[in-house]
Amino acid sequence: MKKLAKLSKGLYVALCFAFFYIPIFVTMLFSFNSSKSLTKFTGFSLKWYIELIENSEIMSAVWVSVSVAVLATAISTVLGTITAIGLSKNRKLIREWITNINNIPIMNPEIVTAIGLMLLFSAMKIEKGYLTMLLAHISFCTPYVITSVYPKVRSLDPSIANAAMDLGATPWQALTKVVVPMIKPGIIAGVLLAFTMSFDDFVISYFVSGNGVMNISIIVYNMTKRTNPTINALSTIVILVIFIAVLVVNIIPLLKRKRAVANEKSN
Amino acid sequence: MKKVISLIICGVLILGLVGCGEEKPSIKVYNAGEYIDTSLISDFERENDCRVIYETFDSNESMYTKVMSGEKYDVIIPSDYMIERLIKEGFLQEIDKTQISNYEKLIPGILSKDFDPENKYAVPYFWGSVGILYDKTVVSEEDINAGWEILKNPKYKDDIYMYDSERDSFMIALKALGYSLNTDDKSELDKAYEWLVEQNEIMNPVYVGDEVIDNMISGNKSIAIVYSGDAAYIMSENENLEYFEPEEGTNIWVDGMVVTKDCADVELSHKFIDFMLDAENAFKNSEAVGYTSSVQEVFEEVRDTIYNDNSAYVPRQGGAKDEYFRYQDAETKKYCAELWTKVKSQ
Amino acid sequence: MKYFKNLVKPYVLWSSVMIIIPLFVMLLYAVTNSGNSLVNIQFTFENFKRFAEPVYLNVFVKSLKLGIITVAICLVVGYTLAYIIAQFKERTQTVLILLVTIPMWINMLLRTYAWISILSDNGIINTFLEKLGLSPISMMYTDFAVMIGQICDFLPYMIIPIHTSLSKMDKSYTEAAYDLGANPVQTFFKVTFKLSIPGVLNGVIMVFLLSISTFVIPKLLGGGQYVLMGNLIENQFISVGDWNFGSAISILLASIILLAIRWMKKIDTGENSQK
Repeated sequence: MKKLAKLSKGLYVALCFAFFYIPIFVTMLFSFNSSKSLTKFTGFSLKWYIELIENSEIMSAVWVSVSVAVLATAISTVLGTITAIGLSKNRKLIREWITNINNIPIMNPEIVTAIGLMLLFSAMKIEKGYLTMLLAHISFCTPYVITSVYPKVRSLDPSIANAAMDLGATPWQALTKVVVPMIKPGIIAGVLLAFTMSFDDFVISYFVSGNGVMNISIIVYNMTKRTNPTINALSTIVILVIFIAVLVVNIIPLLKRKRAVANEKSN
Repeated sequence: MKKVISLIICGVLILGLVGCGEEKPSIKVYNAGEYIDTSLISDFERENDCRVIYETFDSNESMYTKVMSGEKYDVIIPSDYMIERLIKEGFLQEIDKTQISNYEKLIPGILSKDFDPENKYAVPYFWGSVGILYDKTVVSEEDINAGWEILKNPKYKDDIYMYDSERDSFMIALKALGYSLNTDDKSELDKAYEWLVEQNEIMNPVYVGDEVIDNMISGNKSIAIVYSGDAAYIMSENENLEYFEPEEGTNIWVDGMVVTKDCADVELSHKFIDFMLDAENAFKNSEAVGYTSSVQEVFEEVRDTIYNDNSAYVPRQGGAKDEYFRYQDAETKKYCAELWTKVKSQ
Repeated sequence: MKYFKNLVKPYVLWSSVMIIIPLFVMLLYAVTNSGNSLVNIQFTFENFKRFAEPVYLNVFVKSLKLGIITVAICLVVGYTLAYIIAQFKERTQTVLILLVTIPMWINMLLRTYAWISILSDNGIINTFLEKLGLSPISMMYTDFAVMIGQICDFLPYMIIPIHTSLSKMDKSYTEAAYDLGANPVQTFFKVTFKLSIPGVLNGVIMVFLLSISTFVIPKLLGGGQYVLMGNLIENQFISVGDWNFGSAISILLASIILLAIRWMKKIDTGENSQK
């Protein structure tokens, strides 16, 4: 009986993961297909990868996606972190007011945020393109950074920065040398969150971009109308990069801990 | 760690600036999706040492909305009725024919149409008709001869792709009912709306865009509304299919290349238009997408070689009930758009 | 302390421009008609009234229905999975949760695109059925396809918060329930499920928010006739060009979601105060 229960549990988990990973696996498999078909595997070939690299439109979309994600993450992390730090030092009223505003983009459907930004840019007569995309990404990433950093700031002893300054540190030093290192886990979580949000985004980019500036999502959206294994090749690369990145991010702390344990033992 | 991060950020910033800094002459071209042999764009870029920013739209309506929202383009390739709208609203500038060396080679029969009677603003790109693409092995001769009414034949329920475009869908309903496709009579439009709603209820069709091409090639459904050019291409890949233009009349169209009023590089834009009409390029283009070339010699050559025996490559000419689309006044346009949203939302 | 107080100022400025003003612009569009200049502005509720027409209400009902069904399926499937995962050893749990998160990192469009080749009429499932001698099923452009796409994309958002609250739970509660003579079913509903409600609510809110406003999945897997709230909005902005009506629908959508979230949060606090 117990064995049966265990087996059915295992089967359930396997089925769920199959549901998640079969589409991914299928995409990857057909990127190596020698024909255009996405259903019959006719033989191994790398021709879709060659086509991918030769397709300057896709390559520039990859570049837009990556550079916007990096810049948006960097800027929103700085902006979000200093806001979170500043937030804890303000009166309750201001604090609540800002947190509420900050929750708007998180709780609003993406399409509403997207349209708001699109209307804003068109009202301000800013030409749509790279800049508008970057601004929009910063705008929806920052709230996530604030929400992941702020709890860490709140759990911080408020007198710590004061103590540092009493000991002669400038406010800048107190901030960078004392406060920031202590809230580092929150910042890292914020960075990861912001990067995924930005790299993944379709809806907002779709509405605020223009002038031929496209990120990966937009170009895939435009290309899905026709069967095109080049998308599979692109997909495979993105999946592998993310897979490796996630593994590295998760394994490094494990290794570090192991090393620390080993060091302790040898001491 | 910090150093690495700041290095990465600096690198990205610098590359970003360098990317923006490259100063080549450029033009922005706005065309329908799946409507060009993309290698021609790179050929043009190489030949003229310039950059083409190429964007695509799903429908003339979405193109118009985008242009209205202030987006700037140099060359646009819309359909006849949309060109007429753009002319009337002052978005276009006249074509300087002295800069189009291939102008003489155009098919005379598709010039001087009502949307641009003196050929001042538009240079024909492709032309064709709208018709029914059907699977000969499934659809009987008798059924297809019923014309547009086949779209309401319950035998083919769940077996139809409609075109996800407001004007084309209304065209079908209006023609099926025996009205002009340019009507601004609201009672006729209401009847067409009811026709479409009823069709939607009986047949449960799928409204698609360019997805229709691959879906029909692999034979997923047996009937589809398509443009003649797409039909020609699809038929060259799937020989079970045949193209049919109903007797009740259909829409004959010409898509033209136009230069916008606030075009930044008029000379390069004209070069682009001329480039597309060059016999060799026009041949490549027509071959790749299947649409009927506007250049006489290319049209004949493709007709007799690649798309030989392909009924869709030669659209019907001179059909008594066939019509070109014309400009719709703002009120009719809004009325149709609303009705169309409703048809789809049923 | 005054040093750090000012650190919020840049964001106050930023958020007013990038968050508050867009909402006001949208509101302005929603309560005016096209062709208005700023000089002689005329307010109207016409755009909101238009939404009360049966066709549009229908779209709303359809979106709501699809949203609720998606949430329900995600809840049942996701809860079961989270519950099973929470019973594994800690290290296995970390790995499994990591495997749940990875798909979230992969572009949603790429994941949805993958389903097209699986579900299409000549797709992988049908090829497979054919080999088994079964007749093919038409799945693309149906409710089923849209549902599958949504569940696959949104399920992780349900699993993660539920797992977090389950794994935080103190085992002694369930043990106590057993000691007091409760059977496993009672224990589950009276203790485990009750304690995991915050996680469940977070998951429900997230999935509901995503599924009611999506327009990509219905468009790619449902076809042009599959119109949900998100598609209606996109249509107004991209092809119809009626920004006023589009803004009105957006505001309605945002308010509905806000109300739903309020209501669910209330359940949460209500539960807490009961204890």
